[in-house]
Amino acid sequence: MLKQKPLLMLWLAIQLSLLILLQQAFTSWISATFAALLLLRLLTTWRAKETLSLKWVNVLAAVLTLALLLNLKQAGVLHFMLQILLLAAILRLLALQQLYEARQLVWVHYFLLASCFILHQDMLLAAFIMLVLMGNLYSHFLLFSPAGIHLKWQRVSRAALIILPLWLAMFMLFPRLAPFWQIPTANVASTGLSDTLDPGSIEQLVQDNSLAFRVEFSADIPARSQWYWRARLYEDFDGRRWQVNPLRSRSGKDGSVTERSPGSATAQYRVIAEASQQRHLFALATPVSSSNNVAIAASGLVKAVKPVTQRTSYQISSVLQPVKQQSDEELTINLTLPEGNEQTRAFGRQLGQQFQQTSALVAAITAHFQQQPYFYSLTPPPLGANSVDQFLFNTRTGFCSHYASAAAVILRAAGVPARVVGGYQGGDWHQQQGYLAVRQREAHAWVEYLDNGKWQLFDPTAAVAPERILSSLDAVLSAEQRQLLNPGWRKFALLQTLSLQLMHLDYYWSVWVLGFDDNNQRQLWHQLKQQLTRYAYPLLAVISLLLCAAAWYLLRPGAVTAQPEASRLLQQALAGMVKQKPAQQSLSACLRHYASQHPTDRNWLQQLTDSYEQAVFNNDAAALRLLKQQLKRHRADLRRLQRRV
Amino acid sequence: MFTQLHSVEQSLNQVILGKSSQIRLALCCLLAEGHLLLEDLPGMGKTTLAHALANSLGLSYRRVQFTSDLLPGDLVGMNIYDARSQQFHFQAGPVFSQVLLADEINRASPKTQSALLEAMEEKQVSIDGETRSLPTPFFVIATQNPLFHAGTSALPESQLDRFMFRLSLGFPDRQAEHQLLRHDSGNSRLTLLTEQLDTEQLRALQLQVPQITVSDALLDYLLALVNNSRQRSDMLPLSPRASKAILRAAKAHALINQRNYVTADDVQRVFPHVAEHRLDPSSSAQDSRLSQLLLQQTPCLL
Repeated sequence: MLKQKPLLMLWLAIQLSLLILLQQAFTSWISATFAALLLLRLLTTWRAKETLSLKWVNVLAAVLTLALLLNLKQAGVLHFMLQILLLAAILRLLALQQLYEARQLVWVHYFLLASCFILHQDMLLAAFIMLVLMGNLYSHFLLFSPAGIHLKWQRVSRAALIILPLWLAMFMLFPRLAPFWQIPTANVASTGLSDTLDPGSIEQLVQDNSLAFRVEFSADIPARSQWYWRARLYEDFDGRRWQVNPLRSRSGKDGSVTERSPGSATAQYRVIAEASQQRHLFALATPVSSSNNVAIAASGLVKAVKPVTQRTSYQISSVLQPVKQQSDEELTINLTLPEGNEQTRAFGRQLGQQFQQTSALVAAITAHFQQQPYFYSLTPPPLGANSVDQFLFNTRTGFCSHYASAAAVILRAAGVPARVVGGYQGGDWHQQQGYLAVRQREAHAWVEYLDNGKWQLFDPTAAVAPERILSSLDAVLSAEQRQLLNPGWRKFALLQTLSLQLMHLDYYWSVWVLGFDDNNQRQLWHQLKQQLTRYAYPLLAVISLLLCAAAWYLLRPGAVTAQPEASRLLQQALAGMVKQKPAQQSLSACLRHYASQHPTDRNWLQQLTDSYEQAVFNNDAAALRLLKQQLKRHRADLRRLQRRV
Repeated sequence: MFTQLHSVEQSLNQVILGKSSQIRLALCCLLAEGHLLLEDLPGMGKTTLAHALANSLGLSYRRVQFTSDLLPGDLVGMNIYDARSQQFHFQAGPVFSQVLLADEINRASPKTQSALLEAMEEKQVSIDGETRSLPTPFFVIATQNPLFHAGTSALPESQLDRFMFRLSLGFPDRQAEHQLLRHDSGNSRLTLLTEQLDTEQLRALQLQVPQITVSDALLDYLLALVNNSRQRSDMLPLSPRASKAILRAAKAHALINQRNYVTADDVQRVFPHVAEHRLDPSSSAQDSRLSQLLLQQTPCLL
């Protein structure tokens, strides 16, 4: 049974797929060990040789478990559990001997496949997991089917078709229960913007073409120049890098109520954020209300309730007006300048004296960037200790973070509170699908300065490279630099459209499948209820008609004649004994067989047989009554006989 | 009447040793007014059984040894011109008897074999445009050698279908053969036959067969068996004549077992012998592969 080569090969393939799918949970040495064990199994299966003896497998299991335990702290509990499970499955496959072991193995595979969804919610990967699940189901079938029986595809597909509506209904209507236990968070490197902003960090991010989040607007779409997705505030400057102030790291809920100034527009939208392992999320201008899974923190930042380990969607509405000043503390933080960068500070002070009005000051800085020969480049020259000085007066070539950083320093030196905001700007608007795709490459940094108690937005990059803001990054970069961003395969137009289509598909997947939550479900129920009351009577009529048709079909004469009552009674009474009889053997022959096997019970079994035959074959009503009495009288005997059989 | 039947059965068992079930089935066939075909290797006692059966029923019988040059006229008779009376005079053939023993029927040419067809089904023969009815009762008890033997030609399906039962005696067991050899007296074993039914008794028994009760549930089982054969491609379908024959045989089997109702076991008992030569005409009587297959694949819920 367990020597079947195709079955072993199938399990090998399943375990290999699991190893690939759960790759995130394994460090390289674990993956290598597992792969080596699978290879060993493959070779022995190929040559039809015996694998390791059970003793050696046990030793191996002990050693590897110990190693995994030592690694526990680094890996985290969740990953440790996945490692242990896959290890168990692989070793079991190595030393597979009994049928019941194979059954356990198949079930462990199911569990591991389900746990793949902790790590992946991607549509393509979901399809892949489905494929592997099918493989496992097939192995389950092979395990139990007698030799020579093949899967009848026609019948299987018919069964699948029948089950499909039920499956959809379960997905749509079955209540979404809260998880019974918490899944421990995994130790995975976070993606996206970090807590510090180096002069070079955004340039690195821009090289990453992966999706950061998607947005669908429910009402009017704001102008492109307003697509500044705020994610972080950098308020501490040490002369070279910007950092998030500890004040912001504390998650304080925003208590203040934003009063809307008349004339300012609002935007309502839904953001579908990719997994980033961070809590920082994205919003436009001043968010005022959001769905439950995210909270609006101070200064208009949006934070997830727990780290975004899977694709998450949240509804949010923003007032398109600058964020208000929160406290006086903000003032002092955002005026502090460290030592160094003397030239810039002098320049700032001079501008501050020259322009008393803040708006005039900002206009002057913009003019400075526009009139002087500043360049926007993805590959700026390296900067020394006084990085702002060097950028502003020497190299004059930089990326958004350079400009934002320099502008903030100038503003602070001129006595205007200013800070650097990290986030994303722009995105690809897909008209047909109706969503905005924001990629990591859209990462951006800009400045907010305090004026009239509000943090006004100021993007110095717009002064240098307005196309970056109005169209996209590609529009600004030279052909050479675009080359740098685009890996080789994206040069082919066909592949590019293909990947775009895939992204759209993935979008629908996340909106319709992953994004289908309690709210949608409640709405669906509500709609159903409304529809039902409207269509109740016609529906009732149709159902009763269908039932009548079914009843007629089943009861029509000559179709399937029901078993005679006596046979049914006897079959119920004999239950287990009948199951063992060959299909062609009649019940009376079966009874006679038992009578000959059990001499002590011969008499009453003989009587039972007689009255049964009279009832069934001679249409004798009296015999049927007698049979019922006999069955009642010998119930205990029958039960005893069944136990013996 | 039953006692007489059973003493006949016992004395038949004295003649043919160790073959009680075949003898019971053969009697069953005669009670059901069906023709009987015995197929076996030479020397297995099939001619003896045929003779003994004919004898024990107290019927007039004629025996015809079928050969390849036997003509239809030799079987059914012919009109012979009588010079004295200057008229054609009908000379009746051996078919005009109550029991026709057709020995080695498959040695005859198909032409002669088919001459039997009308006689067997219609119980009448037509000679020169004149139809003459055969005496009642009329049985054909035929024997044949297995098909692979030299000089045999297969019976056509239509003729096979007219035989209700096809039986095979098979080798006797060691004990029976020992007894056979010990009591070898030089006389024909037929002299051991002491009991006989008379014609009235046989007629009365045959009239009882259709009176046996058949429940609807049993008919359903029988129809399920027959239908099953019609849905398969690896065997010939069973005709309504076949299902009638099965039921008639099962009734006769119930009668012999002194029951007034047919059980599923009766059907299962007679089914291989009634159905196998209809399912596959080229099969040999010893194996009943197709009919057993049908029985196995038709679950019996009774």
